[in-house]
Amino acid sequence: MSFITINLTTNDREQITGIEKLIRNLYTPLQSGVSEFRVNLGDFTTIFQNKNTLNTKIKMLEEENRRISLENQVLRENEAELKRLRNIVAFVESSLDTYDLLPARVISRSPNNWYQTLIIDKGSNAGVKMGMTVITPKGLVGSVGSVSDNSAHINLITDREMAVGAILQENRDTNGIIEGRGDRTFLRLMNVPYYSAVKNKNRVITSGLSLTFPKGIFIGTIGEITRERGGLLLSASVKPAVDFDKLEEVLIITDYHPVTESQEETGE
Amino acid sequence: MSRKVRYLMLVILPVLAIFFQSTLFSSYSIKGSIPDMVLVFVAFFALLNAANQSATYGFLCGLLEDLYMGRFIGINALSKALTAYAIGRLQGNVFKENLLVGVIAVLVATVINALLLVGLSLSVSEIYNVDMGLFISIVLQCVYNTIIAVPAYVWYYNSSHHGWLRKTGEN
Repeated sequence: MSFITINLTTNDREQITGIEKLIRNLYTPLQSGVSEFRVNLGDFTTIFQNKNTLNTKIKMLEEENRRISLENQVLRENEAELKRLRNIVAFVESSLDTYDLLPARVISRSPNNWYQTLIIDKGSNAGVKMGMTVITPKGLVGSVGSVSDNSAHINLITDREMAVGAILQENRDTNGIIEGRGDRTFLRLMNVPYYSAVKNKNRVITSGLSLTFPKGIFIGTIGEITRERGGLLLSASVKPAVDFDKLEEVLIITDYHPVTESQEETGE
Repeated sequence: MSRKVRYLMLVILPVLAIFFQSTLFSSYSIKGSIPDMVLVFVAFFALLNAANQSATYGFLCGLLEDLYMGRFIGINALSKALTAYAIGRLQGNVFKENLLVGVIAVLVATVINALLLVGLSLSVSEIYNVDMGLFISIVLQCVYNTIIAVPAYVWYYNSSHHGWLRKTGEN
């Protein structure tokens, strides 16, 4: 019986069954409650922090605010320059794709050691669908695995069943596949040709070759590079851009629109 | 009355285990590994009950996990049923009063369950990346589960003889 159900419930199915939805719907409010309680507990303990510590923090934040304001001015100037350059270049990369984003809160994580998943507090009622890409401002998180009415399971890129097409941001010719290894602090870039100019600290982004993930999303940075047995391929460890242990909010890409040349010329 | 309470407890334990594993325990993972309380309770049940009963209980607990996870339904059910059956077959010749027996049962159950899950995952998944990290993860799970098994077995054993988990007719 187990083999029949395993075969019938592969990752490709669009909908989860009624009983799965029922179990999720029973757990979701409880998990949201625990998540809320932990956030509130954090707020409560802050009140008891030393006044001097808080004053020092305020000064630090004011200083940081001034620095960020200055940086922001420089970045605005750079952005304007980037737009001008993009109008000159005929073939642009699609890293400035625009996304329709839906924010969601992480309410729980995988209950066992075999799957790297998160559960978020948005489901089909909020428009979440299976296969949608999940990101944070820092980089790629994973994709929506299964959806119930008010929650959804996110398969993290660190899951052993995940593979993402990737390229290096510095060297667009270098293609590879990012594989999850069940460790939240470690990914592996596989199938890189031996002649590729891959270097330590290179930035890895999504290639857009897979149907699931849009092009240009930051995945992580290259660590140690090793030559595979046979000598024709390289592989490399990759440090994920996202800290999966501290993930509290995520953004779901519900739709994305690649920037076209005509849009850029008109400045949209 | 006692029988109803026992059955209720046998249901509540895996339900609560999944709830705590997905919320609180995940914050205290060691290199991504968390204790598998569902497996710990299945191993204890198998140590104190017949093999066939244990296999059924393992199957139902695993099925609950599978339905909650929404991936391959039956993978945990099958692995936990077979694990429970194996422990149930081995338990006839051991002194269950000994705490060490409970701890060793959990260790053996963790290894059997891990091997079954890896084997099943490799056979049903299109992609399943195996490397040295998987072996380390299994070792960490063994360590975590056996640590948890020490206080848990004391409670479970006492409850099975004098508490809520006591079978009807036992003192």
